Amino acid sequence: MSAVELNDVVKRYGALEVVHSVNLNVERGEFVVLVGPSGCGKSTTLRMVAGLEEISGGTVSIGGRLVNRVAPKDRDVAMVFQNYALYPHLNVAENIAFGLRVRREKKDVIEAAVKEAAAILDLTPYLARKPADLSGGQRQRVAMGRAIVRKPQVFLFDEPLSNLDAKLRTQMRAEIKRLHKRMGVTSIYVTHDQIEAMTLADRIVVMNGGRVEQVGTPMELFLKPANAFVASFLGSPPMNLLRATVVSVDGEPKARIDAADAEAALLRLPKAIGTSLRADQRILVGLRPEHVAVSKEASGDVQEIAATVDLVEPLGSEALLHTRISGQPIVAKIETPADVEALSQIGRLQIPVGRLHVFDAESGKAVNGHA
Amino acid sequence: MASFNLYSRGDRIFGYANATLIGLFVLSTLYPFIYILSVSISSGAAVTSGQVVLLPKDLTLAAYEFVLSDRLFWIAYGNTFIYTFGGTAVSLAIMIPGAYALSRARLRGRKILNMMVAFTLWFNAGMIPFFLNMRDLGLLDSRLGIIIGFACNAFNVILLRNFFEAVPKSFEEAAKMDGASEFQLLWKVFIPLSKPAIITVALFCIVSRWNSYFWAMVLLRGEEKIPLQLYLKRIIVDLTANDEFASSLLTSRYSFETVTAAIMIASIIPVLLIYPSIQKYFNKGITLGGVKE
Amino acid sequence: MIAGYFKRLGEDLRKDWQLYLLILPMLLWFMLFLYKPMEGLQIAFKDFSPFRGIAGSPWVGLENFRTLLGDQIFIRAFLNTITISGLGLIFAFPVPIVLAIMFNELQSELGRRFSQTIVYLPHFISVVIVAGIVINLLSPTTGVVNLILSSLGLERVYFLTQPEWFRTVFIGSNIWKEAGFESIVYLAAIAGISPTLYESARVDGASRWQMMWRITLPCILPTIIIMLIIRIGNLVEVGFEYIILLYQPATYRTADVVSTYVYRTGLQGTQYDLATAAGLFNAVIAFALVFAANRISRKVSTTSLW
Repeated sequence: MSAVELNDVVKRYGALEVVHSVNLNVERGEFVVLVGPSGCGKSTTLRMVAGLEEISGGTVSIGGRLVNRVAPKDRDVAMVFQNYALYPHLNVAENIAFGLRVRREKKDVIEAAVKEAAAILDLTPYLARKPADLSGGQRQRVAMGRAIVRKPQVFLFDEPLSNLDAKLRTQMRAEIKRLHKRMGVTSIYVTHDQIEAMTLADRIVVMNGGRVEQVGTPMELFLKPANAFVASFLGSPPMNLLRATVVSVDGEPKARIDAADAEAALLRLPKAIGTSLRADQRILVGLRPEHVAVSKEASGDVQEIAATVDLVEPLGSEALLHTRISGQPIVAKIETPADVEALSQIGRLQIPVGRLHVFDAESGKAVNGHA
Repeated sequence: MASFNLYSRGDRIFGYANATLIGLFVLSTLYPFIYILSVSISSGAAVTSGQVVLLPKDLTLAAYEFVLSDRLFWIAYGNTFIYTFGGTAVSLAIMIPGAYALSRARLRGRKILNMMVAFTLWFNAGMIPFFLNMRDLGLLDSRLGIIIGFACNAFNVILLRNFFEAVPKSFEEAAKMDGASEFQLLWKVFIPLSKPAIITVALFCIVSRWNSYFWAMVLLRGEEKIPLQLYLKRIIVDLTANDEFASSLLTSRYSFETVTAAIMIASIIPVLLIYPSIQKYFNKGITLGGVKE
Repeated sequence: MIAGYFKRLGEDLRKDWQLYLLILPMLLWFMLFLYKPMEGLQIAFKDFSPFRGIAGSPWVGLENFRTLLGDQIFIRAFLNTITISGLGLIFAFPVPIVLAIMFNELQSELGRRFSQTIVYLPHFISVVIVAGIVINLLSPTTGVVNLILSSLGLERVYFLTQPEWFRTVFIGSNIWKEAGFESIVYLAAIAGISPTLYESARVDGASRWQMMWRITLPCILPTIIIMLIIRIGNLVEVGFEYIILLYQPATYRTADVVSTYVYRTGLQGTQYDLATAAGLFNAVIAFALVFAANRISRKVSTTSLW
């Protein structure tokens, strides 16, 4: 039995449909991250699970119970908000206890629960402080404390880290992960940050335009993106997508990169997908920056293509190379060589054929080989 | 080495002139208060003979003794306290829950109700129909009438409502998920979060209750229920013309002028006591409910 | 469709019943004390007698209004209302603006806070006390003003019994009471001006006088216009509670306004129907003015008054 189950869930505001038929099964103890650009419907979806938004169509079940018409407080879920929603007039202990107080729990029960939560979150020394006297990370932990004491079936997180600075975010990310390992509570987590999604999730749900684009483990999504959107959304810097047209399909499938001038380069595509392509098909060829090389050390089937370097960005041990192939931009992420200056003189890039992704230009769908 | 001057000579002269003008305005604001205070602690003879202009002459508390020994003064003072604090409590008890409900989007008919409140800002039935209505409700010559009849006003309701509306949504959502009822939400979340607005409204209520006299004059009959301002009005305004009464007060120790001045000071003192907290909050209140972009 | 609507309504009422319970007292209050009296407005169109009650009194159409418009005293009161408001607009309206600008130019933070504290104070003093102060200061025998006049060898003036002095006294004491407090709105507007405007002007060599005219004033002009519109919208409203304290039969010629007329004829006399008609006459004009003012201010700026 799934811990949370969404079947054809739809959200409409009047005539405007913002979430289209979302299906999702979250297993018990699983950490699922909903990720996508702002306005993609991920928060709305989460809020429908929480009961903060009415469900316009479809069903949501929690622990096998249909909750469409169940009030948020009775859904046995707890939520951590983006701005934490800590009550400024209450101290840390009272904030954590709030949910139990309004449920009229016994005093000693509340006290024990607050103590336990505070211990888990290292908040014990701060229990008497007001939120205003806490650091961002501590506030974040108090917000989680409020969720923990409720001992819910499901934790919901709505962009909980986006109010923190970059360093603290990394730290809190690790803490959330540790907490989940320790408590094992089913969690649904919304973020627009793909790195958060990659590091936290057991499974990622990529959403765009109110639809689920793909569901899978982080590595599945990274290695086998179902479409160009997922491919370009995950990974940093994002996957390069070159517009191209298929010129030959049998034997050695090839595509010509679309270019204003005639001297457009020909790209060899993975053999396995040849049968799935048709001649003259417009495609997007995807290539992760970290798979592009500048020297011939790469093993396997590698092709060399002429490129001009626009800009070199050294990041330390790695460098980003902004280049063009037949006029289309392509970014390469390489190990920084001893002579950085020389990088701008490079005229050719090494492209491993086996690591190319191909997407249909029109539908954006990945073209996979028939095994 | 000549010190560097941030402002030119012209600018400095402008600054001095400006400060002087403000000083004058402040003095002219302050003068009447000082004058009344001086009159109240001068001897009646000194005042009547026109010797008190700024500072008191022949220091005496005779006028205060006279006032404080007047039974009616204490009745009026007590009544004003009842009207002010009872009235403010009733006002808040009605307006806070009402404004809170008006601020919630899930309230059915919210638009119409809001318009109903705002409309009264610009149009009301007027003096006579209001009076007749109070009479029909049996609230003439009644303390309850004074307390209940003026409990709400649209301005304060709108001010509170706007403040409640500005409370971030996640506070409500978090409390809802925790299982808070509507009453708990208001009592444990919105009221503590809206303290500045509530205190502002409470101060508005207190000041306007303390200072009002008109409807008390219209609605109340006897002397037992009148508030301080009406007592003041009866003495200062109605009796000024009454020379007989004025001269009956005239002794060398106090006069009509010193007695009225003493009553005025006695009525101003409570306002002065809460004035610092008013200062602290009304700026906020003005920006909350007043002209906001 | 309709059945569905009522079903939803019922569900919402059941789900949020506490919310409706919370608004109930206020709703009842507004009904009982502000909307129910409007029923009484019909006596403006009736020959009202308290014994017959509102319903029992016969309709007379616009008879009461005809009486009013033929009544010299009412016409005078109406004209007085507008005159006093208009004079207030000319003499009292600019004072808080000037005050706010002057406060802003005050360099000493402490001095500014002190002077603001003082000038806001009279706003919180009751009109009864203000009237008492005015009566005291202007008293022909012991009042300071007359003491000064007589020491200058001038004749004593019975200010409060002379119609030609009433407006001056009324508007002057109103400025004393309210100008300081009203400056808050303009100070708030001034506080919203970006300091970089002044800094760049200073780098350009502008004097404080020039900055006042070229930066401060233009920047608060929208606020001034809005306040002006509000003021014009309230042209037929004057502080009658204060007038009642200051006027006397000898000064009715300039002091009697519509509200005081209503008070005298309705509550002191008992011509309820006529007084209600006078009040309604004024209220309708006031409402139209405010409505127009709001329309205009919506056009002038993005700010709407409601």
